[in-house]
This record gives sequence, structure tokens and C-alpha cells, in this order.
Amino acid sequence: MRIKDIINFLKQPKIFVFAMIWMMMLVVLGTLAQKDMGLYAAQNRYFSAWITWFWFVPMPGGRLTLIIIFINLSFFFFKKSIWKIKKLGIVILHLGGILLLVGGGLTAMFSSEGNMVIEEGAKSNHVEDYHYMELALINTSAVDFDEFTVFDQPLLIRNQILTHENLNFEIEILNYLENCEPTKRTSPPVIQYKGMLKNFMLKELKPEKEDNWNRPGIIYKISNSGTSADGMYGIFLGQPVSQTVSIKEKDFTIILRRKRTYLPFSIELLDFKKILHPGTEIPKSYSSDIILIENGVARKILIQMNEPLRHKGYTFFQSSFIEGPDSETSVFAVVKNYGRLFPYISSIIMCVGLLFHLSQKLPDLFRKSREKIAA
Amino acid sequence: MVFLHSCGQDNHIRTYQLAKTKALGSAPRVEAPDNKSTGFIWEKPESWIPSSGSSMRLASFDVPYSDGIGDLSVIQLGGTGGGFEANVNRWRRQLNLEPQSLSEIEKEMIENKGGLGLYNVIEIINEELGSAFLCAILPAGNQTLFVKLSANPKGVREIETDFISFCSSLIISI
Repeated sequence: MRIKDIINFLKQPKIFVFAMIWMMMLVVLGTLAQKDMGLYAAQNRYFSAWITWFWFVPMPGGRLTLIIIFINLSFFFFKKSIWKIKKLGIVILHLGGILLLVGGGLTAMFSSEGNMVIEEGAKSNHVEDYHYMELALINTSAVDFDEFTVFDQPLLIRNQILTHENLNFEIEILNYLENCEPTKRTSPPVIQYKGMLKNFMLKELKPEKEDNWNRPGIIYKISNSGTSADGMYGIFLGQPVSQTVSIKEKDFTIILRRKRTYLPFSIELLDFKKILHPGTEIPKSYSSDIILIENGVARKILIQMNEPLRHKGYTFFQSSFIEGPDSETSVFAVVKNYGRLFPYISSIIMCVGLLFHLSQKLPDLFRKSREKIAA
Repeated sequence: MVFLHSCGQDNHIRTYQLAKTKALGSAPRVEAPDNKSTGFIWEKPESWIPSSGSSMRLASFDVPYSDGIGDLSVIQLGGTGGGFEANVNRWRRQLNLEPQSLSEIEKEMIENKGGLGLYNVIEIINEELGSAFLCAILPAGNQTLFVKLSANPKGVREIETDFISFCSSLIISI
């Protein structure tokens, strides 16, 4: 097949039409499915996937479909007939569409979202991911700092060996439980477990519909430390007492937690305010008085509903709150979206394209209309 | 761009250093919901699980630490409950340790202030046996409360801060 044939095939408007119809079907299926399987699972299965399986039939997932649309729109520019002043509006319109897809691609691949939870009077400089976990091994031996070696969720799979030059031992993941419940042992275990597993066991549960309701857990083995710390341990998300081990004069704390992203600035919550609708317990608005601290410089800012804080590429939305007996805690949804501006720019470009095209077509339409009336 | 984003395992391992924070591993505190019938109110860490103790006990908790679970008991006795010397030496005998004189005991006691006023805390450790107690004696009007944590030496050291916070939070329920 010649290159010309490939180009001719890829620029066919038919591909765009079928891909758009399939994308619309995916949107409908995904929307219906999220009722039963939860939002995150539905997003992963229908929209973020390259391939979506319908029983045993593989079909293009949302990601692949959008790439097909992107390629098809890009090859549109190989058409010689469009490079005319008359078609300039259409060209601009396609350019806007391509830019929109590029923005979507950047968002899908590089963006992150999570939340920052701060109690009144407290400070935070990290965002916790909604879905991804990390296993943090913290060397607490130094007097004034802690050394973190953090393994991200893709490595937390069965039989994976975790090693790093910072660690004088190995960790083997024996099992990763997506959702579990720590339950107290009623009889001594057959295996000589260490740490929390001596008295508790991690009972595997069916994953919840909403991903962030799950409590993941790990059964792991410490080996090659050359000390009595070698053995099988367990850990779960939100474990109240962290596992600590001492290996060759180094003290380590091991924590399974939501993936953290540290920010180049910190936020202190001064006051959280909640206004209720009169005579009800239904909140009308929330707002947080915060201090943004960066390079030793503090700046007072108000974050409220529909008025997020945008700083260094991060957007902080007032998302929720937790009421405590003595103080309140504010929850911010934090989004870093590299493709944030693309929808605005591409929408403007597409509007310009449509207006240009319309302005070229209007005289013809008026002429035809006049001819029709005259006839 | 897709390949650059997806290749390499090393990008799943991150290392960094942070200044020490006291909050590492600390647990939120909650007031026990059913403690008013005991005549006392307290705040305990969320990780402490109420357990069934003997009828002598006002309250019992399973207190998890990194190597296991400690047992915490709260006992109420009339008057001074036998005094410091008798009680501390009873605990020492339970750990196969020799009794001490009152002056020796007083040297090891640490005074704290809480909702019930001034109280004393003492750590009794037998490293050879691998067992330890952390005990608090709290005068409460014409009675005395004895709070005892039983764990291994490492557990006692880990739980000490929460133990003192718990003892300090104790107040008489009105």
C-alpha cells in the first residue's frame, strides 16, 4: 500500500463520523454503567481504556477512539481542496478541534487530582491522590529530618520485590488487597507473623463501588536484612499505629497511604465558615480563610465555592468540610491540569472558524434567498 | 509523548527528605461513646479498641502498637487504694522485679496535671522478661483511679504520649 493510499484512507470523513457515533455510544454506556460499577471504574472501563471488552469482544475504548478522531482530523489537512480562502473557516474549525483533543490528551496523561485536608490552625503542603496508593518507607534515624523512599501503586503487586539503595533490606509484596478489613485473631496464627499480623489478620473484602471507599492492604515480607526484623508483616490504609522496624541501627516506619504530591508552598487554614439556609441544616455556602506561605512570604486569601485559588498550576476548590468538637476541618479538591486552558482556546478558535465560514457563506445565502423571492 | 510517559520503572520510586514532624503516625482522638456510665469521661485515640476486661475494671482497651497489642485497664478503688508503695510494688512483683522503697519509687514517678488534678505516672520495665507496665495513679475525690498499660518495653515507649493524654483527659461525669 502506498503512502498516498494510507493518507487517503486516514482522511476519510467516514472515519470521523463512525468514531463520533461510537464515542457517543461509549458516553451513554459509561453513564449507565457508573450507576452500578461506580464513577471511577466506569471512567476506567469506558473512557480511559484503550480497549473496552464487551463480553469476549474487544472494542475501542474512549482513549483509542479519541486518538482515531485526532489522526483523522490531522489527515484532513492533507486534502489539497481545503487550502483555499473559501475553506479557511473549515480549516480553522478543524484546528480548534485538534487543539481540543491535544488538551484532552495532556489532561489524561499528565494531570493529577486529589485533596488537601487541613484542620483550623494547621498547615499542609501536600495533596493526597483520590485513587492511587503508595508504600512509604521512612528512615527516621536522623535527628532533624526523615528520609522517605516511596514506592508507587504500580509496584505494589503480588511477587514484586521492592529494593532501593536507601534500604538495607528487601520487601516482597506477597499480596495486595484492594479492599480489606483488619479483624482480631481468635487463635494463634499458623505462620510466625510479625507486627500487627501477630494479633490481627487482613480479611479480603469485595471492592466497593466507589474506589475511594476501599481500604487497601498489603501482606509483605522483609528479607535480607540480616536481622530479626526479617519476616512477614501486614499493613493497611489508615492503620492507626504505623509499623516500625530497626535494621542495622536504622529505624524505619512503614506506611501505606494515599499517594502524596508535595507542593512548593504550604497552606495554613485560619478559619472555615459555613453558612446555612435559614431554618435548615442545608449549607448555603462554605469558605476558608487561608494563608498561602511561599518562600517565607505569607499571603491571606479567601477560598470559597466557585472562587477557587489558582497558584503555580494548581487549583484549590472548596470541596467539603469535617465538623469536629473543637474545630472544623476544610477539604480542598486540588487539581493540576496541564490542559486546563486548551478548551477555552480551542473553543475560541472554533468560534472564529465558524464565524469566518458563516461570513463567507452569508452573501450566497442572501443571494439565493433573494432569487427565490424574485422567482 | 505516550511512550515517554509510560516507560521506565524508576519513575515509580521517589525519594525525598522532609523535616521531622511530630504528627507522623498519630491518630485522631475520640471520646468513648459509652463511658458516662462509669462516672468518668475521657478521650482516647481512635485506635484503642474497647475490650472485655474483668468485673473489677471500669474500662479496658486493646491498644495497638507496632509489634502487637497492649492491654490498658482502668480500675477504681476507694480512698488511696492502698497507696503508691503497695501498688507499685505489686506491679513490680508481677514483672518479677524486686520491691522498692517509697523514696525510690517517688524518684521514678513523673507528675502530670489533668482533668482530675495532679497525678503520677510510673514506667516499670523488665527488659529480660520483655514486659513492661505504664501506670498512672489518679486521685479522684475520695477515690483513686489506677490506669495500667501492659505491653512490651517498645510498646510502652510508643504509647506513652497517648497514655498520658488519656489520663489527662479523665474527668468526673456530672
